[in-house]
Amino acid sequence: MDRELMAQTKNHNHGNTIVQDLGAATVKTIGNCGRFSRFQADSLVASVAACLRPETYPLIWNQMLAIGVKSVPVVMITGAFVGMVLAIEAFGQLSGLGFEEHLGVLINLSVVKELGPVLAAIMLAGRVGGALTAELGTMNVTEQILAVRSMGTDPIRYLVAPRLLACLLLTPILIVYADFLGVIGGYLISVPYLGINGRAYWALSASGVELWDITAGIAKGFFFGAAIAGVSCYKGFHCKEGAQGVGEACTEGFVGSFILILAIDFFLIVILKAIYESIWPIKLLL
Amino acid sequence: MQNEGIIELKGLTKRFGEIVVLNDISLTFEKGKTTVIIGPSGCGKTVLIKHIIVLLRPSGGEVYFHNQRIDNLDEKELGKVRTQMGFLFQSGALFDSMTVLENVAFPVRQHTQIKDPDKIDELVKMKLTLVGMDGFQNYYPARLSGGQRKRVALARAIALNPEVILYDEPTTGLDPIRADIINELILKTQKALGITSIVVTHDMGSACKIGDRIIMLHNGKVLVDGNADTIKNSTLPEVQRFIKGEVSEKDLEGLQVSFEDIKIDDKK
Ligand SMILES: Nc1ncnc2c1ncn2[C@@H]1O[C@H](COP(=O)(O)OP(=O)(O)O)[C@@H](O)[C@H]1O
Ligand SMILES: [Mg+2]
Repeated sequence: MDRELMAQTKNHNHGNTIVQDLGAATVKTIGNCGRFSRFQADSLVASVAACLRPETYPLIWNQMLAIGVKSVPVVMITGAFVGMVLAIEAFGQLSGLGFEEHLGVLINLSVVKELGPVLAAIMLAGRVGGALTAELGTMNVTEQILAVRSMGTDPIRYLVAPRLLACLLLTPILIVYADFLGVIGGYLISVPYLGINGRAYWALSASGVELWDITAGIAKGFFFGAAIAGVSCYKGFHCKEGAQGVGEACTEGFVGSFILILAIDFFLIVILKAIYESIWPIKLLL
Repeated sequence: MQNEGIIELKGLTKRFGEIVVLNDISLTFEKGKTTVIIGPSGCGKTVLIKHIIVLLRPSGGEVYFHNQRIDNLDEKELGKVRTQMGFLFQSGALFDSMTVLENVAFPVRQHTQIKDPDKIDELVKMKLTLVGMDGFQNYYPARLSGGQRKRVALARAIALNPEVILYDEPTTGLDPIRADIINELILKTQKALGITSIVVTHDMGSACKIGDRIIMLHNGKVLVDGNADTIKNSTLPEVQRFIKGEVSEKDLEGLQVSFEDIKIDDKK
Protein backbone atom coordinates (compact mmCIF):
# COMPACT_ATOMS: atom_id res chain seq x y z
CA MET A 1 0.00 0.00 0.00
CA ASP A 2 2.85 2.24 0.85
CA ARG A 3 4.40 1.62 -2.51
CA GLU A 4 1.13 2.34 -4.26
CA LEU A 5 0.83 5.61 -2.43
CA MET A 6 4.35 6.50 -3.38
CA ALA A 7 3.73 5.69 -7.00
CA GLN A 8 0.61 7.80 -6.87
CA THR A 9 2.36 10.78 -5.38
CA LYS A 10 5.11 10.35 -7.92
CA ASN A 11 2.60 10.36 -10.75
CA HIS A 12 0.87 13.26 -9.20
CA ASN A 13 4.13 15.15 -8.90
CA HIS A 14 4.97 14.34 -12.45
CA GLY A 15 1.68 15.71 -13.69
CA ASN A 16 2.22 18.72 -11.57
CA THR A 17 5.57 19.54 -13.09
CA ILE A 18 4.20 19.46 -16.62
CA VAL A 19 1.42 21.80 -15.59
CA GLN A 20 3.93 23.89 -13.73
CA ASP A 21 6.28 24.01 -16.70
CA LEU A 22 3.44 25.00 -18.96
CA GLY A 23 2.34 27.62 -16.47
CA ALA A 24 5.84 28.96 -16.08
CA ALA A 25 6.27 29.12 -19.86
CA THR A 26 2.96 30.94 -20.23
CA VAL A 27 3.83 33.40 -17.51
CA LYS A 28 7.20 34.00 -19.14
CA THR A 29 5.69 34.50 -22.61
CA ILE A 30 3.11 36.91 -21.29
CA GLY A 31 5.82 38.70 -19.35
CA ASN A 32 7.95 39.01 -22.48
CA CYS A 33 5.01 40.28 -24.51
CA GLY A 34 4.30 42.85 -21.84
CA ARG A 35 7.93 43.88 -21.75
CA PHE A 36 8.02 44.13 -25.55
CA SER A 37 4.85 46.24 -25.70
CA ARG A 38 6.08 48.46 -22.92
CA PHE A 39 9.39 48.97 -24.70
CA GLN A 40 7.65 49.84 -27.97
CA ALA A 41 5.26 52.24 -26.24
CA ASP A 42 8.16 53.97 -24.48
CA SER A 43 10.08 54.15 -27.75
CA LEU A 44 7.10 55.66 -29.51
CA VAL A 45 6.65 58.34 -26.85
CA ALA A 46 10.38 59.06 -26.84
CA SER A 47 10.46 59.28 -30.65
CA VAL A 48 7.57 61.70 -30.81
CA ALA A 49 9.26 63.78 -28.13
CA ALA A 50 12.53 63.62 -30.07
CA CYS A 51 10.81 65.01 -33.18
CA LEU A 52 9.86 68.07 -31.18
CA ARG A 53 13.33 68.63 -29.73
CA PRO A 54 15.84 70.10 -32.19
CA GLU A 55 18.72 68.96 -29.95
CA THR A 56 18.17 65.39 -31.03
CA TYR A 57 18.29 66.15 -34.76
CA PRO A 58 22.08 65.72 -34.95
CA LEU A 59 21.72 62.30 -33.29
CA ILE A 60 19.09 61.27 -35.82
CA TRP A 61 21.19 62.66 -38.64
CA ASN A 62 24.25 60.68 -37.49
CA GLN A 63 22.22 57.50 -37.39
CA MET A 64 20.81 58.19 -40.84
CA LEU A 65 24.32 58.56 -42.22
CA ALA A 66 25.49 55.41 -40.46
CA ILE A 67 22.45 53.37 -41.40
CA GLY A 68 21.50 54.82 -44.75
CA VAL A 69 24.48 55.70 -46.86
CA LYS A 70 26.18 52.36 -46.50
CA SER A 71 22.95 50.51 -47.25
CA VAL A 72 22.41 52.15 -50.62
CA PRO A 73 24.66 49.77 -52.64
CA VAL A 74 23.26 46.55 -51.16
CA VAL A 75 19.70 47.73 -51.57
CA MET A 76 20.40 48.71 -55.17
CA ILE A 77 21.96 45.34 -55.92
CA THR A 78 18.96 43.60 -54.35
CA GLY A 79 16.57 45.63 -56.50
CA ALA A 80 18.51 45.08 -59.72
CA PHE A 81 18.60 41.32 -59.29
CA VAL A 82 14.93 41.14 -58.42
CA GLY A 83 14.09 42.95 -61.66
CA MET A 84 16.42 40.80 -63.75
CA VAL A 85 15.28 37.49 -62.30
CA LEU A 86 11.63 38.44 -62.73
CA ALA A 87 12.24 39.31 -66.37
CA ILE A 88 13.84 35.96 -67.16
CA GLU A 89 11.26 33.92 -65.23
CA ALA A 90 8.17 35.73 -66.46
CA PHE A 91 9.34 35.87 -70.05
CA GLY A 92 9.34 32.09 -70.27
CA GLN A 93 5.73 31.92 -69.16
CA LEU A 94 4.37 34.95 -71.01
CA SER A 95 6.02 34.20 -74.34
CA GLY A 96 4.33 30.80 -74.36
CA LEU A 97 0.99 32.65 -74.26
CA GLY A 98 2.08 35.32 -76.70
CA PHE A 99 1.82 38.06 -74.10
CA GLU A 100 5.51 38.95 -73.90
CA GLU A 101 4.83 42.66 -74.39
CA HIS A 102 2.99 42.64 -71.08
CA LEU A 103 6.25 41.68 -69.38
CA GLY A 104 6.81 45.31 -68.39
CA VAL A 105 3.56 45.55 -66.42
CA LEU A 106 4.24 42.33 -64.64
CA ILE A 107 7.81 43.16 -63.70
CA ASN A 108 7.24 46.76 -62.73
CA LEU A 109 4.07 46.10 -60.79
CA SER A 110 5.67 43.27 -58.83
CA VAL A 111 8.81 45.26 -58.16
CA VAL A 112 7.11 48.45 -57.12
CA LYS A 113 4.28 46.95 -55.09
CA GLU A 114 5.75 43.89 -53.46
CA LEU A 115 9.21 42.59 -54.14
CA GLY A 116 11.09 45.86 -54.03
CA PRO A 117 9.77 46.98 -50.64
CA VAL A 118 9.78 43.54 -48.99
CA LEU A 119 13.17 42.38 -50.20
CA ALA A 120 14.76 45.75 -49.52
CA ALA A 121 13.28 45.65 -46.01
CA ILE A 122 14.61 42.15 -45.42
CA MET A 123 18.02 43.21 -46.67
CA LEU A 124 17.87 46.12 -44.22
CA ALA A 125 16.73 43.85 -41.40
CA GLY A 126 19.95 41.92 -41.90
CA ARG A 127 22.24 44.83 -42.47
CA VAL A 128 20.83 47.57 -40.28
CA GLY A 129 18.92 45.49 -37.77
CA GLY A 130 21.92 43.24 -37.16
CA ALA A 131 24.17 46.23 -36.60
CA LEU A 132 21.66 47.86 -34.23
CA THR A 133 21.22 44.73 -32.13
CA ALA A 134 24.95 44.08 -31.99
CA GLU A 135 25.74 47.66 -31.03
CA LEU A 136 23.07 48.01 -28.37
CA GLY A 137 23.62 44.44 -27.14
CA THR A 138 27.32 45.09 -26.63
CA MET A 139 26.50 48.32 -24.85
CA ASN A 140 24.11 46.36 -22.67
CA VAL A 141 26.52 43.59 -21.64
CA THR A 142 29.32 46.09 -20.95
CA GLU A 143 26.94 48.09 -18.71
CA GLN A 144 27.05 51.14 -20.97
CA ILE A 145 23.25 51.32 -21.09
CA LEU A 146 23.20 51.11 -17.31
CA ALA A 147 25.78 53.90 -17.30
CA VAL A 148 23.44 56.09 -19.36
CA ARG A 149 20.71 55.43 -16.81
CA SER A 150 23.06 56.04 -13.90
CA MET A 151 23.73 59.53 -15.24
CA GLY A 152 20.03 60.34 -15.21
CA THR A 153 19.43 60.01 -18.96
CA ASP A 154 16.69 57.80 -20.33
CA PRO A 155 18.47 55.27 -22.57
CA ILE A 156 15.35 54.82 -24.68
CA ARG A 157 15.26 58.53 -25.39
CA TYR A 158 18.99 58.78 -26.03
CA LEU A 159 19.68 55.49 -27.82
CA VAL A 160 16.45 54.09 -29.22
CA ALA A 161 14.51 57.14 -30.40
CA PRO A 162 17.17 58.41 -32.86
CA ARG A 163 17.65 54.94 -34.30
CA LEU A 164 13.93 54.34 -34.64
CA LEU A 165 13.39 57.66 -36.38
CA ALA A 166 16.35 57.12 -38.65
CA CYS A 167 15.03 53.70 -39.72
CA LEU A 168 11.54 55.09 -40.17
CA LEU A 169 12.74 57.86 -42.47
CA LEU A 170 15.34 55.86 -44.35
CA THR A 171 13.56 52.65 -45.23
CA PRO A 172 11.11 54.36 -47.64
CA ILE A 173 13.99 56.23 -49.28
CA LEU A 174 15.98 53.05 -49.71
CA ILE A 175 12.91 51.34 -51.12
CA VAL A 176 12.83 54.01 -53.81
CA TYR A 177 16.38 53.00 -54.74
CA ALA A 178 15.42 49.33 -54.82
CA ASP A 179 12.36 50.09 -56.98
CA PHE A 180 14.40 52.20 -59.35
CA LEU A 181 17.09 49.60 -59.87
CA GLY A 182 14.48 46.86 -60.12
CA VAL A 183 12.76 48.71 -62.94
CA ILE A 184 16.08 49.30 -64.71
CA GLY A 185 17.18 45.69 -64.20
CA GLY A 186 13.89 44.40 -65.60
CA TYR A 187 14.18 46.72 -68.58
CA LEU A 188 17.76 45.76 -69.37
CA ILE A 189 16.90 42.07 -69.47
CA SER A 190 13.57 42.47 -71.27
CA VAL A 191 14.39 44.95 -74.00
CA PRO A 192 18.07 44.71 -74.97
CA TYR A 193 18.53 41.05 -73.98
CA LEU A 194 15.20 39.36 -74.69
CA GLY A 195 14.44 41.70 -77.56
CA ILE A 196 11.00 42.96 -76.56
CA ASN A 197 9.80 46.13 -78.25
CA GLY A 198 10.88 48.95 -75.98
CA ARG A 199 8.05 51.32 -76.80
CA ALA A 200 5.37 48.70 -76.10
CA TYR A 201 7.18 47.69 -72.93
CA TRP A 202 7.03 51.19 -71.46
CA ALA A 203 3.58 52.04 -72.80
CA LEU A 204 2.01 48.97 -71.24
CA SER A 205 3.95 49.52 -68.00
CA ALA A 206 2.77 53.10 -67.77
CA SER A 207 -0.84 52.12 -68.23
CA GLY A 208 -0.58 49.21 -65.79
CA VAL A 209 1.33 50.80 -62.91
CA GLU A 210 -0.49 53.56 -61.12
CA LEU A 211 0.90 56.19 -58.82
CA TRP A 212 -1.12 54.48 -56.11
CA ASP A 213 0.94 51.29 -56.48
CA ILE A 214 4.22 53.15 -56.12
CA THR A 215 2.97 55.17 -53.16
CA ALA A 216 1.61 52.08 -51.42
CA GLY A 217 4.96 50.31 -51.84
CA ILE A 218 6.89 53.20 -50.41
CA ALA A 219 4.39 53.77 -47.61
CA LYS A 220 4.99 50.21 -46.47
CA GLY A 221 8.56 51.27 -45.88
CA PHE A 222 7.59 53.33 -42.84
CA PHE A 223 6.08 50.29 -41.19
CA PHE A 224 8.95 48.01 -42.17
CA GLY A 225 11.46 50.53 -40.87
CA ALA A 226 9.63 50.80 -37.56
CA ALA A 227 9.46 47.01 -37.29
CA ILE A 228 13.18 46.58 -37.97
CA ALA A 229 14.24 49.23 -35.47
CA GLY A 230 11.68 48.18 -32.86
CA VAL A 231 12.62 44.52 -32.83
CA SER A 232 16.37 45.06 -33.18
CA CYS A 233 16.60 47.65 -30.43
CA TYR A 234 14.44 45.57 -28.12
CA LYS A 235 16.64 42.52 -28.66
CA GLY A 236 19.77 44.56 -28.06
CA PHE A 237 18.40 46.03 -24.85
CA HIS A 238 17.37 42.66 -23.47
CA CYS A 239 20.18 40.37 -24.56
CA LYS A 240 21.80 37.88 -22.21
CA GLU A 241 25.33 38.30 -20.91
CA GLY A 242 28.44 37.62 -22.89
CA ALA A 243 29.41 37.41 -26.53
CA GLN A 244 27.05 34.48 -26.96
CA GLY A 245 24.15 36.52 -25.62
CA VAL A 246 24.82 39.25 -28.18
CA GLY A 247 25.07 36.68 -30.96
CA GLU A 248 21.79 35.07 -29.99
CA ALA A 249 20.12 38.45 -29.78
CA CYS A 250 21.25 39.28 -33.33
CA THR A 251 19.87 36.02 -34.68
CA GLU A 252 16.58 36.39 -32.84
CA GLY A 253 16.36 40.03 -33.87
CA PHE A 254 16.77 39.16 -37.55
CA VAL A 255 14.29 36.29 -37.46
CA GLY A 256 11.84 38.45 -35.54
CA SER A 257 12.08 41.38 -37.94
CA PHE A 258 11.85 39.06 -40.94
CA ILE A 259 8.62 37.46 -39.76
CA LEU A 260 7.19 40.78 -38.65
CA ILE A 261 7.94 42.31 -42.06
CA LEU A 262 6.08 39.50 -43.82
CA ALA A 263 3.17 39.71 -41.41
CA ILE A 264 2.94 43.49 -41.68
CA ASP A 265 3.12 43.17 -45.46
CA PHE A 266 0.17 40.79 -45.47
CA PHE A 267 -2.01 43.00 -43.31
CA LEU A 268 -1.04 46.14 -45.19
CA ILE A 269 -2.00 44.54 -48.49
CA VAL A 270 -5.42 43.72 -47.09
CA ILE A 271 -5.87 47.20 -45.65
CA LEU A 272 -4.50 49.05 -48.68
CA LYS A 273 -6.71 47.02 -50.97
CA ALA A 274 -9.76 48.00 -48.95
CA ILE A 275 -8.74 51.63 -49.06
CA TYR A 276 -8.08 51.46 -52.79
CA GLU A 277 -11.46 49.88 -53.48
CA SER A 278 -13.28 52.45 -51.39
CA ILE A 279 -11.73 55.38 -53.21
CA TRP A 280 -11.88 53.79 -56.66
CA PRO A 281 -15.47 54.88 -57.39
CA ILE A 282 -14.59 58.46 -56.45
CA LYS A 283 -11.72 58.36 -58.89
CA LEU A 284 -14.00 57.15 -61.66
CA LEU A 285 -16.35 60.05 -61.01
CA LEU A 286 -13.48 62.50 -61.31
CA MET B 1 25.85 63.78 18.30
CA GLN B 2 24.52 61.94 15.31
CA ASN B 3 25.68 63.27 11.97
CA GLU B 4 23.12 64.01 9.30
CA GLY B 5 22.39 60.93 7.21
CA ILE B 6 22.28 61.60 3.48
CA ILE B 7 21.36 58.10 2.33
CA GLU B 8 19.37 55.62 4.31
CA LEU B 9 18.53 51.98 3.64
CA LYS B 10 15.64 50.53 5.63
CA GLY B 11 15.24 46.77 5.70
CA LEU B 12 16.64 46.41 2.19
CA THR B 13 16.06 42.92 0.80
CA LYS B 14 16.86 41.67 -2.69
CA ARG B 15 16.00 38.29 -4.14
CA PHE B 16 16.85 36.94 -7.57
CA GLY B 17 14.35 34.13 -7.97
CA GLU B 18 14.91 31.90 -4.94
CA ILE B 19 18.31 33.32 -4.03
CA VAL B 20 18.35 35.95 -1.32
CA VAL B 21 21.30 38.23 -2.03
CA LEU B 22 20.55 41.00 0.46
CA ASN B 23 18.66 40.17 3.60
CA ASP B 24 17.04 42.99 5.58
CA ILE B 25 19.89 45.50 5.56
CA SER B 26 19.44 48.80 7.37
CA LEU B 27 22.19 51.39 7.11
CA THR B 28 22.59 55.15 7.28
CA PHE B 29 25.38 56.82 5.31
CA GLU B 30 26.68 60.06 6.75
CA LYS B 31 27.23 63.23 4.81
CA GLY B 32 30.82 64.08 3.87
CA LYS B 33 32.21 60.76 5.06
CA THR B 34 33.71 57.85 3.20
CA THR B 35 31.96 54.59 3.97
CA VAL B 36 33.54 51.40 2.71
CA ILE B 37 31.60 48.20 2.23
CA ILE B 38 33.76 45.11 2.13
CA GLY B 39 33.05 41.45 1.61
CA PRO B 40 34.14 38.53 -0.52
CA SER B 41 33.34 38.39 -4.24
CA GLY B 42 29.76 37.42 -4.95
CA CYS B 43 28.41 38.51 -1.57
CA GLY B 44 26.17 41.17 -3.10
CA LYS B 45 28.22 44.36 -2.87
CA THR B 46 27.45 45.44 -6.41
CA VAL B 47 23.79 44.61 -5.90
CA LEU B 48 23.77 46.75 -2.74
CA ILE B 49 25.44 49.77 -4.31
CA LYS B 50 23.16 49.62 -7.36
CA HIS B 51 20.17 49.90 -5.04
CA ILE B 52 21.48 53.18 -3.66
CA ILE B 53 21.07 54.80 -7.09
CA VAL B 54 18.05 52.57 -7.84
CA LEU B 55 19.53 50.85 -10.87
CA LEU B 56 17.97 47.81 -9.19
CA ARG B 57 14.65 47.89 -7.37
CA PRO B 58 14.46 46.27 -3.95
CA SER B 59 12.33 43.15 -3.35
CA GLY B 60 11.58 44.59 0.07
CA GLY B 61 12.53 47.62 2.13
CA GLU B 62 13.14 51.24 1.24
CA VAL B 63 15.88 53.59 0.06
CA TYR B 64 15.97 57.24 1.14
CA PHE B 65 18.01 60.12 -0.23
CA HIS B 66 17.83 63.37 1.73
CA ASN B 67 14.90 61.84 3.64
CA GLN B 68 12.97 61.39 0.40
CA ARG B 69 11.99 57.89 -0.55
CA ILE B 70 13.49 57.12 -3.95
CA ASP B 71 13.08 53.40 -4.58
CA ASN B 72 9.47 53.86 -5.70
CA LEU B 73 10.03 56.81 -8.05
CA ASP B 74 9.61 56.30 -11.78
CA GLU B 75 12.61 56.52 -14.10
CA LYS B 76 11.90 60.12 -15.05
CA GLU B 77 11.85 61.35 -11.46
CA LEU B 78 14.88 59.21 -10.71
CA GLY B 79 16.75 61.05 -13.47
CA LYS B 80 16.90 64.16 -11.28
CA VAL B 81 18.01 62.20 -8.23
CA ARG B 82 20.71 60.42 -10.22
CA THR B 83 22.29 63.65 -11.43
CA GLN B 84 23.11 64.31 -7.77
CA MET B 85 25.01 61.04 -7.55
CA GLY B 86 28.00 59.74 -9.48
CA PHE B 87 28.37 56.04 -10.07
CA LEU B 88 31.73 54.51 -10.93
CA PHE B 89 31.10 51.11 -12.49
CA GLN B 90 33.28 48.14 -11.72
CA SER B 91 34.12 47.91 -15.43
CA GLY B 92 34.25 51.68 -15.94
CA ALA B 93 31.46 51.39 -18.52
CA LEU B 94 32.89 54.16 -20.68
CA PHE B 95 31.09 54.64 -24.00
CA ASP B 96 33.48 52.98 -26.40
CA SER B 97 32.12 54.79 -29.45
CA MET B 98 33.03 58.14 -27.91
CA THR B 99 36.33 59.81 -27.11
CA VAL B 100 37.39 60.57 -23.55
CA LEU B 101 36.27 64.16 -24.09
CA GLU B 102 32.81 63.13 -25.26
CA ASN B 103 32.49 60.64 -22.44
CA VAL B 104 33.15 63.21 -19.75
CA ALA B 105 31.07 65.82 -21.57
CA PHE B 106 28.09 63.45 -21.86
CA PRO B 107 26.38 64.23 -18.53
CA VAL B 108 27.18 67.92 -18.96
CA ARG B 109 25.54 68.05 -22.38
CA GLN B 110 22.57 66.07 -21.12
CA HIS B 111 21.80 67.98 -17.95
CA THR B 112 23.15 71.51 -18.12
CA GLN B 113 22.52 74.51 -20.31
CA ILE B 114 26.21 74.75 -21.18
CA LYS B 115 26.25 74.54 -24.97
CA ASP B 116 29.38 76.49 -25.88
CA PRO B 117 31.99 73.91 -26.99
CA ASP B 118 34.86 75.94 -25.52
CA LYS B 119 33.20 76.03 -22.12
CA ILE B 120 32.60 72.27 -22.27
CA ASP B 121 36.22 71.67 -23.27
CA GLU B 122 37.35 73.76 -20.34
CA LEU B 123 35.10 71.93 -17.90
CA VAL B 124 36.22 68.54 -19.17
CA LYS B 125 39.85 69.61 -18.94
CA MET B 126 39.31 70.60 -15.33
CA LYS B 127 37.77 67.25 -14.42
CA LEU B 128 40.44 65.31 -16.27
CA THR B 129 43.18 67.29 -14.55
CA LEU B 130 41.65 66.32 -11.23
CA VAL B 131 42.12 62.64 -12.07
CA GLY B 132 45.46 63.17 -13.83
CA MET B 133 44.18 62.38 -17.30
CA ASP B 134 44.41 65.75 -19.01
CA GLY B 135 45.81 65.40 -22.52
CA PHE B 136 43.92 62.21 -23.30
CA GLN B 137 40.83 64.04 -24.57
CA ASN B 138 40.95 62.58 -28.06
CA TYR B 139 41.70 58.98 -27.09
CA TYR B 140 39.10 56.27 -27.44
CA PRO B 141 38.61 54.07 -24.34
CA ALA B 142 39.98 51.02 -26.19
CA ARG B 143 43.39 52.70 -26.29
CA LEU B 144 43.55 53.31 -22.53
CA SER B 145 44.83 50.95 -19.85
CA GLY B 146 42.52 49.63 -17.12
CA GLY B 147 43.64 52.18 -14.56
CA GLN B 148 43.33 55.05 -17.02
CA ARG B 149 39.81 53.96 -17.91
CA LYS B 150 38.81 53.96 -14.25
CA ARG B 151 40.21 57.44 -13.86
CA VAL B 152 38.29 58.71 -16.89
CA ALA B 153 35.17 57.02 -15.57
CA LEU B 154 35.73 58.84 -12.28
CA ALA B 155 36.06 62.14 -14.15
CA ARG B 156 32.74 61.38 -15.84
CA ALA B 157 31.12 60.47 -12.53
CA ILE B 158 32.12 63.82 -10.98
CA ALA B 159 31.34 65.90 -14.08
CA LEU B 160 28.10 67.24 -12.60
CA ASN B 161 29.62 67.90 -9.15
CA PRO B 162 27.49 65.26 -7.41
CA GLU B 163 26.88 65.20 -3.69
CA VAL B 164 27.53 61.49 -3.47
CA ILE B 165 29.92 59.25 -5.38
CA LEU B 166 29.42 55.51 -5.44
CA TYR B 167 32.50 53.48 -6.29
CA ASP B 168 32.17 49.85 -7.29
CA GLU B 169 35.51 48.10 -6.78
CA PRO B 170 37.62 51.06 -7.88
CA THR B 171 40.96 49.32 -7.26
CA THR B 172 40.17 45.79 -8.40
CA GLY B 173 42.28 44.54 -11.26
CA LEU B 174 44.95 47.22 -10.87
CA ASP B 175 48.56 46.77 -9.76
CA PRO B 176 49.30 48.05 -6.22
CA ILE B 177 50.73 51.36 -7.40
CA ARG B 178 47.83 52.16 -9.74
CA ALA B 179 45.44 51.01 -7.01
CA ASP B 180 47.04 53.46 -4.62
CA ILE B 181 46.67 56.28 -7.14
CA ILE B 182 42.93 55.55 -7.16
CA ASN B 183 42.89 55.51 -3.34
CA GLU B 184 44.56 58.91 -3.29
CA LEU B 185 42.07 60.17 -5.85
CA ILE B 186 39.14 59.05 -3.73
CA LEU B 187 40.63 60.80 -0.70
CA LYS B 188 41.36 63.90 -2.77
CA THR B 189 37.87 64.16 -4.27
CA GLN B 190 36.34 63.71 -0.86
CA LYS B 191 38.56 66.37 0.77
CA ALA B 192 38.59 68.83 -2.14
CA LEU B 193 34.91 68.65 -2.98
CA GLY B 194 33.45 67.59 0.38
CA ILE B 195 31.71 64.71 -1.30
CA THR B 196 30.06 61.79 0.45
CA SER B 197 31.66 58.60 -0.82
CA ILE B 198 30.44 55.04 -0.65
CA VAL B 199 33.06 52.55 -1.76
CA VAL B 200 32.54 48.87 -2.38
CA THR B 201 35.67 46.74 -2.44
CA HIS B 202 37.24 43.47 -1.42
CA ASP B 203 40.63 45.12 -0.98
CA MET B 204 41.26 45.38 2.77
CA GLY B 205 44.28 47.70 2.38
CA SER B 206 42.31 50.16 0.32
CA ALA B 207 39.38 49.98 2.76
CA CYS B 208 41.58 50.87 5.75
CA LYS B 209 43.28 53.68 3.89
CA ILE B 210 40.20 55.52 2.66
CA GLY B 211 37.39 54.49 4.98
CA ASP B 212 36.04 56.60 7.83
CA ARG B 213 33.72 53.72 8.46
CA ILE B 214 33.95 50.13 7.29
CA ILE B 215 31.02 47.74 6.95
CA MET B 216 31.48 44.06 6.25
CA LEU B 217 28.79 42.12 4.41
CA HIS B 218 28.40 38.39 4.82
CA ASN B 219 25.59 36.17 3.57
CA GLY B 220 23.42 39.16 2.77
CA LYS B 221 23.72 40.65 6.26
CA VAL B 222 25.90 43.30 7.89
CA LEU B 223 28.49 41.35 9.88
CA VAL B 224 30.61 44.17 11.30
CA ASP B 225 30.08 47.92 11.31
CA GLY B 226 32.84 50.18 12.60
CA ASN B 227 36.23 51.54 11.60
CA ALA B 228 39.47 49.85 10.57
CA ASP B 229 40.29 48.93 14.17
CA THR B 230 36.91 47.37 14.85
CA ILE B 231 37.44 45.11 11.88
CA LYS B 232 41.03 44.24 12.78
CA ASN B 233 40.13 43.48 16.37
CA SER B 234 37.04 41.51 15.56
CA THR B 235 37.17 37.95 16.82
CA LEU B 236 34.65 36.63 14.32
CA PRO B 237 36.32 33.87 12.30
CA GLU B 238 34.82 35.07 8.99
CA VAL B 239 36.28 38.52 9.52
CA GLN B 240 39.71 37.26 10.48
CA ARG B 241 39.81 34.94 7.51
CA PHE B 242 38.83 37.78 5.20
CA ILE B 243 41.54 40.08 6.57
CA LYS B 244 44.25 37.46 6.36
CA GLY B 245 42.99 36.25 3.01
CA GLU B 246 42.70 32.67 4.24
CA VAL B 247 40.40 30.04 2.94
CA SER B 248 38.12 28.26 5.43
CA GLU B 249 38.63 24.59 6.40
CA LYS B 250 35.42 23.67 4.67
CA ASP B 251 36.42 25.16 1.31
CA LEU B 252 39.83 23.53 1.64
CA GLU B 253 38.24 20.13 2.16
CA GLY B 254 36.23 20.68 -0.98
CA LEU B 255 39.40 21.30 -2.95
CA GLN B 256 41.13 18.20 -1.59
CA VAL B 257 38.21 15.96 -2.42
CA SER B 258 38.21 17.08 -5.99
CA PHE B 259 41.97 16.51 -6.37
CA GLU B 260 41.74 13.02 -4.91
CA ASP B 261 38.98 12.24 -7.37
CA ILE B 262 41.26 13.26 -10.20
CA LYS B 263 44.09 11.07 -8.87
CA ILE B 264 41.82 8.04 -8.63
CA ASP B 265 40.51 8.71 -12.11
CA ASP B 266 44.08 8.86 -13.41
CA LYS B 267 44.97 5.50 -11.87
CA LYS B 268 42.02 3.89 -13.55
N1 LIG C 1 20.76 40.35 -12.39
C1 LIG C 1 21.00 39.29 -11.62
N2 LIG C 1 20.25 38.18 -11.74
C2 LIG C 1 20.48 37.10 -10.97
N3 LIG C 1 21.42 37.03 -10.02
C3 LIG C 1 22.21 38.10 -9.84
C4 LIG C 1 22.04 39.29 -10.63
N4 LIG C 1 22.96 40.20 -10.23
C5 LIG C 1 23.66 39.60 -9.24
N5 LIG C 1 23.22 38.35 -8.99
C6 LIG C 1 23.74 37.43 -7.98
O1 LIG C 1 23.90 38.15 -6.80
C7 LIG C 1 25.08 37.76 -6.14
C8 LIG C 1 25.90 38.96 -5.77
O2 LIG C 1 26.42 39.55 -6.92
P1 LIG C 1 27.33 40.85 -6.85
O3 LIG C 1 26.60 41.90 -6.11
O4 LIG C 1 27.71 41.17 -8.24
O5 LIG C 1 28.60 40.37 -6.04
P2 LIG C 1 29.89 41.23 -5.65
O6 LIG C 1 29.87 41.32 -4.18
O7 LIG C 1 31.06 40.44 -6.12
O8 LIG C 1 29.78 42.55 -6.32
C9 LIG C 1 25.79 36.79 -7.05
O9 LIG C 1 25.62 35.50 -6.53
C10 LIG C 1 25.10 36.93 -8.37
O10 LIG C 1 25.01 35.67 -8.99
MG1 LIG D 1 30.84 43.43 -7.84
